[in-house]
Amino acid sequence: MKKTVDVSIPLGPVHPIFKEPCRIKCETFGEQVLAAEVELGYMKKGIERIMVGRPWQEVMFLAERVCGICSVIHNFVFIETMEKISGVTVPDRAAYLRVLANELDRMQSHLIANFSYCYTIEHETIGMYLLNIRETVMDMLEYLTGARVTCAYIVPGGVRFDPDNEDLTRIMTAMDDVERETRRYMSMFESGPLIGLRSKGIGVMTREQAELIHAVGPTARACGITTDCRSDHPTYQRLNFSPLVRTEGDNYARVMLRFQEILQSVDLIRTIIRTLPEGKIRGGGTIGRGETTHKGEAPRGELTYRIKSDTHGRVQEISIQTPSIMNIEACARYMIPGVTSVADVTAAYISSDPCVACTER
Amino acid sequence: MARPEWVKTFFLAKTAPLTTPPHFREFPHLTGKECTHCFQCMMICPAPGAIEVIRTDKPGEWKPVIHLGHCIRCGLCVEICPELVLDAGRVHTKNAQDGTYMQFQFHITVNPVTCMGCGSCTVACPVNKEIDPQLAAKGTSTSDEVIMRVYKGINTVFHEDKCTGCKTCEEQCPTRSILVARVLEPLQISEET
Repeated sequence: MKKTVDVSIPLGPVHPIFKEPCRIKCETFGEQVLAAEVELGYMKKGIERIMVGRPWQEVMFLAERVCGICSVIHNFVFIETMEKISGVTVPDRAAYLRVLANELDRMQSHLIANFSYCYTIEHETIGMYLLNIRETVMDMLEYLTGARVTCAYIVPGGVRFDPDNEDLTRIMTAMDDVERETRRYMSMFESGPLIGLRSKGIGVMTREQAELIHAVGPTARACGITTDCRSDHPTYQRLNFSPLVRTEGDNYARVMLRFQEILQSVDLIRTIIRTLPEGKIRGGGTIGRGETTHKGEAPRGELTYRIKSDTHGRVQEISIQTPSIMNIEACARYMIPGVTSVADVTAAYISSDPCVACTER
Repeated sequence: MARPEWVKTFFLAKTAPLTTPPHFREFPHLTGKECTHCFQCMMICPAPGAIEVIRTDKPGEWKPVIHLGHCIRCGLCVEICPELVLDAGRVHTKNAQDGTYMQFQFHITVNPVTCMGCGSCTVACPVNKEIDPQLAAKGTSTSDEVIMRVYKGINTVFHEDKCTGCKTCEEQCPTRSILVARVLEPLQISEET
């Protein structure tokens, strides 16, 4: 084969700024990256195989452990799939509380994603500030559900714990703090000249390219595609949810969109607490036989569960499709090629918020 | 600030000690109430081998033991326990406030194609042995009160409702033709009643 590149540079699998192992192979001409390829497969868990043959009360905890950052949405979508199979209905209050837990989880996920981007472009100050807000959010998640990461909050037909007025007031107060701090760091990110140099116009993916590669989640929304599974969800529809979109399609847009979504989540949580209906939190109902597919919006994009269960609700077949695989591929195909320095490769990669634990399961 | 003072604050700065908040769902601990050894906590536990109900030194007394290395702090054992033997974080308080609880049903399915009628499951079943002691001694039974026994060459289930979901039969079956389903339903006491 004719050699058209100067040198192939591998980044990873062990790299100081990668949260999870993954290898990016870049073909470079000088510092300019011409093409890139992402190699996965360093942390396969085989969790779908472990789930087979187990009832929901065991699979629920395994589903949560697919990904440590977006654990609530895995629980949420898994339980909703099981409910869809067996026609279990959820009381209004429980439906709202589910969304409350999910939005808190989304906020902490976006905050850690933006932290890792700031860390990648070596602006550790904002990064650490963001982690500080994340702690507040995690504390609220712990206050609501009893645990920071593996919350196990959502069960078929409802949720596990009902917050009383005192709990809700505490969450409301924390949301004020989170909003104030997020706005402050967002404006710091927006106006930072060096941040702009490292972010604006780097890792650009156009709308057409994003459509071609089926980018999902904030990565797609930063390219101008209005795609958000939350707008198909009945509870979000009642909360008048509409997805946020930016059009630039560069690193800056992706990070800013995540900041905006954090503020949107704050608003959603406030609306939920203000309009939380009274009533029961568990409707009851057992899981039965069936097979179905169900989608939900994870912090990184569309998450799909396809489950086949037997008469007594044991999982017989399960396949999970997680959002990150699309975004990682979009990153290798369109964002990374064309960047003018190898230092921007990691920045572009991290800006798409890849989650290798989800991807390899 | 004067330099020595600054040095003092810099080197002797103390952060507040880390404390576990009371709402954190900790490893379950015993509340001191009497355990009736219904084994539901063991049946609900999603982590293999994290909880065991064992006899204590006192005759007739049982208590659950949590193996901390295996426990995933899900708090399901606290929710299922009918005697309130266990507690973790706010699980107990919240359940009492909202009237939430969980309920088990156990279903036994026998695959008639692969079942050889060997009767290993019926002999192994601890509930069967209690109902008909003849099963433990001789390995055969004619009682219809047992959960299951070999009838007309195949394992037949008589009383599914007596099953405690321990899956001993499943472990003993040489052909994997008996399956026990642990069907769990999360419920709440309705306010009207």
